[in-house]
Amino acid sequence: MSKPRVAIFDFAGCEGDELQIVNLEESLLGLLGHVEVVTFREAMKERTDDYDIAIVEGSCTRPEDEEKLKHIRECASIVIAIGSCAAIGGINSLKNHLDPAWYRAEVYGDKADWFDTYKARPISAVIPIEAAVPGCPIDRDEFLHVVKTLLLGRTPDIPNYPICVECKKNENVCAFDRGEVCVGPVTRAGCNSCCVNEGTKCWGCRGLIDDPEKNAHMEVLEAHGLTPDEVIKNFQTYFGWEGDQ
Amino acid sequence: MKVISKGDFTSFVNGMIQDGSSKVVGVKEKGNAFAFGDLGTADELRLDYDVTLLPPKKYFFPQRETLLRFDRTNDSAQSVVDVEPMVIIGVHPYDIAALQQMDAVFAESNADPYYMKKREAAVIIGMNAVNTSEWNFAASMGAESVSDGYDIMLTDLGGSYAVEVGSSKGENLLLTHGAALREANGEEQAACSSYSAPVGKSLDFDAAAIPALLRAHYGNEAFWEEHSEKCLKCGSCVLVCPTCYCFDVKDEADLDLKGGERYRTWDGCLIEDFASVASGENFRGTKAARYRHRYNKKGDYLNERFGFTACVGCGRCSSQCLPDIADPVKVFNDLWAVADTKPQAIESTPAEISPGEEYSFVPRNATVVNKTAMGTTEMVLELKLDDGSELGHQPGQFVEVSAFGIGEAPISVSSSPTHRGTFELCVRKIGNVTTKLHALEVGDKVGIRGPFGVGFDTEFFKGKNLLFIAGGLGLAPLRSFFNFVLDNRADYADVKILYGCKVPGEMLFGNEVADWDARDDIDHRMTVDSCTEEDTWEGNVGVITTLIPGVDIDAEDTYCIVVGPPIMYRFVIKSLKEKGVPDDKIIVSLERRMKCGVGKCGHCQMNGIYVCQEGPVFNYADIKDVPEALE
Ligand SMILES: Cc1cc2nc3c(=O)[nH]c(=O)nc-3n(C[C@H](O)[C@H](O)[C@H](O)COP(=O)(O)OP(=O)(O)OC[C@H]3O[C@@H](n4cnc5c(N)ncnc54)[C@H](O)[C@@H]3O)c2cc1C
Ligand code: SF4
Ligand code: SF4
Ligand code: SF4
Ligand code: SF4
Ligand code: SF4
Ligand code: FES
Repeated sequence: MSKPRVAIFDFAGCEGDELQIVNLEESLLGLLGHVEVVTFREAMKERTDDYDIAIVEGSCTRPEDEEKLKHIRECASIVIAIGSCAAIGGINSLKNHLDPAWYRAEVYGDKADWFDTYKARPISAVIPIEAAVPGCPIDRDEFLHVVKTLLLGRTPDIPNYPICVECKKNENVCAFDRGEVCVGPVTRAGCNSCCVNEGTKCWGCRGLIDDPEKNAHMEVLEAHGLTPDEVIKNFQTYFGWEGDQ
Repeated sequence: MKVISKGDFTSFVNGMIQDGSSKVVGVKEKGNAFAFGDLGTADELRLDYDVTLLPPKKYFFPQRETLLRFDRTNDSAQSVVDVEPMVIIGVHPYDIAALQQMDAVFAESNADPYYMKKREAAVIIGMNAVNTSEWNFAASMGAESVSDGYDIMLTDLGGSYAVEVGSSKGENLLLTHGAALREANGEEQAACSSYSAPVGKSLDFDAAAIPALLRAHYGNEAFWEEHSEKCLKCGSCVLVCPTCYCFDVKDEADLDLKGGERYRTWDGCLIEDFASVASGENFRGTKAARYRHRYNKKGDYLNERFGFTACVGCGRCSSQCLPDIADPVKVFNDLWAVADTKPQAIESTPAEISPGEEYSFVPRNATVVNKTAMGTTEMVLELKLDDGSELGHQPGQFVEVSAFGIGEAPISVSSSPTHRGTFELCVRKIGNVTTKLHALEVGDKVGIRGPFGVGFDTEFFKGKNLLFIAGGLGLAPLRSFFNFVLDNRADYADVKILYGCKVPGEMLFGNEVADWDARDDIDHRMTVDSCTEEDTWEGNVGVITTLIPGVDIDAEDTYCIVVGPPIMYRFVIKSLKEKGVPDDKIIVSLERRMKCGVGKCGHCQMNGIYVCQEGPVFNYADIKDVPEALE
């Protein structure tokens, strides 16, 4: 069997996730034994349409992105969205809650009128995908898990339980017991609760679990002294697109 | 009684650390809390702690534990039982009581080597609590002190510790490391015997009434809904519990995709998908049902099985539940308050558990000798065990089939044991493992564990009239018994079979169904839910229950064996009862999520019953009052 060919694309995003892949170093070399990277903006120069697996970073923020994505979908047998922008809309969907005129001026300056811009959305809102690896930046182990499982012909385990599950297994002191607030109880696990392990809290970069207990969580936040406005801000940082659905 | 000064105790601990022959762990600070961790020096010990974040269970049943390593290039696997001798310092009595409960759970019927070997290799130095959390109610649960379960027990006497030796292991440890013990004087003896454990909070009633209280209020939906309304489904309450033992099993391939490991990791019944299966069914689909299960499991089901209430009152669940709804004291006291009649306290004695046979997660290899596509999404795989042995199953039993790197799935054996040399599985393609099984070619290998569970009692049914009722894929398990009966036809009285599927194209084992036609010693009827003009279908059209009124059976004296999708049972049983079939003449086979197959992982439970052990085949009379069985 010839090696699967991998292409990596970036849309609106910070490219931090691609760097994360380049940073996989040894793990990546191991993986590269099984795949051939053909298009990768950060690390390589060549570009081609002949690939099996497309890894897409960044969210879809303009109508013309949709064409590109559809083309990618036609070329690839497996499409993986990586990073919060691609997987859940991420930071980019913050603008969904702002006045369009304002952010267009802010982002594009006086050329604002030249650009079409619409609600930022995850890749899966435009084309069907095989897997999404949320996270900002993504978790390397999870990314490798996704690639390995797809190569083995199975779907990856992207948990549908909250960060608290991993946080408890890691025996962390809960952020709430340190006088902080945390959105871990409604955020999809899979990062091994890395931020809490480092002594901070979860701000929800991986997006919501299916059917999150938002009301119960809001009550917890309010019981810990947050005002309703602050509660909403807590949710919007990453949950812009999903929260609207 | 012996005594050791605190200074000498420190030297004793440092001696063990320096010696290095055992790993030495103890209670240390972690942020503004405490946790068991590796000791670099005895100075890190905080024996005045109130409670640790996680219980010491993590050393015997770790958060993530490799069960086996596999090699996909030659389909081989090797069990990994990672044991390291260890001394654990500072375990509070309630956590010792919890470990004793876990010993029973992991030893019962199928002994879990992964847990038990680690446990044997550890020395427990207990510590009577000096401080406690505000949530602790160990005294209400009778777990504030223990008389056994430790190798050494310490009681703080101010400048020294009273030392009780609980085992020869403990005695040897003290000797080997030259612990400077001396006899206690009168004052010290008095101080030790006047020790009483600190108390955080208390139950309003005798804990021995908990099982009866829970039973009386199982159906109090309003109570469970109200109490669980704010549940975040975060699982914290079960993950931090010293007496929870549920786990999930997963495969992770190495980067080269050749090797890899199968591991288990903590799971819990409060997590939403704990009881959901590939077809989309969630057998405990509401917050209230999951929440209620936790209290009943601890307070009633395990009591019935082991004779103890599986809560030692450590208060961890209460303190870690953000909406503050997981406190057993509050829940039990609330239940007590709403109980019109206060149930009696019934003292139970822990059952004597002698360890069962050791099981292994390593499967036996089997080779695909034939594959036949069937229906629209089913494939029949004929398998032969590589060691040349017979599978040795009873009709109705199941096996755990594995594909390394993908996972394991429970599948019923579809062939009769009268069919020798090979066995058959009929697999519906629905998820990861089943998709992989469909892709196998003749000559490929799969792993097999089992057979597991209780099947159909072929001896018992001898001489009886039998009515088989199969819906859809239900024919797969049913066929193992039906074909057994056909092969031993003279042993059984009147035999009839009703078989229904959605559309004619989904009919399974069509060739065998054609053979039924040719036999005059069985009666069979077929139905499809619907069919089109193009279908050449001569049978009945309508759901399976439409066949039942017309079937001619001696209702009082016929065993009806029913297997089908979960929703079928209620309707079929209703029709059978309308015909006058008594409860105990209805036999069913039930499906649940399963991970281990050996009564450990907790996934297959319906109320107190482990379907993988006591089922999947049940007499309806035995389960009709089990609320989660046919809900
Ligand atoms: C006693 C018993 C007998 C069964 N007999 C058959 C049979 O003869 N033919 C057949 O096609 N199917 C049978 N099933 C159902 C079969 O086990 C599931 O369809 C299968 O586990 C799905 O696994 P998957 O990896 O393809 O799906 P995924 O969705 O990828 O499931 C992941 C894992 O979840 C667990 N799981 C998911 N669904 C189920 C389920 N329904 N039951 C138990 N565990 C589940 C398994 O561990 C599975 O590997 C039986 C189930 C039980 C409990
Ligand atoms: S710190 Fe956050 S993620 Fe961890 S247990 Fe607390 S709420 Fe959950
Ligand atoms: S802990 Fe929360 S914020 Fe941190 S990586 Fe995980 S999901 Fe993102
Ligand atoms: S800790 Fe509380 S919120 Fe979390 S699952 Fe348990 S009961 Fe629900
Ligand atoms: S149920 Fe709660 S109090 Fe009881 S043993 Fe478990 S964590 Fe401790
Ligand atoms: S089923 Fe029992 S042991 Fe398993 S997680 Fe729930 S309460 Fe704990
Ligand atoms: S307890 Fe694990 S499958 Fe039954």
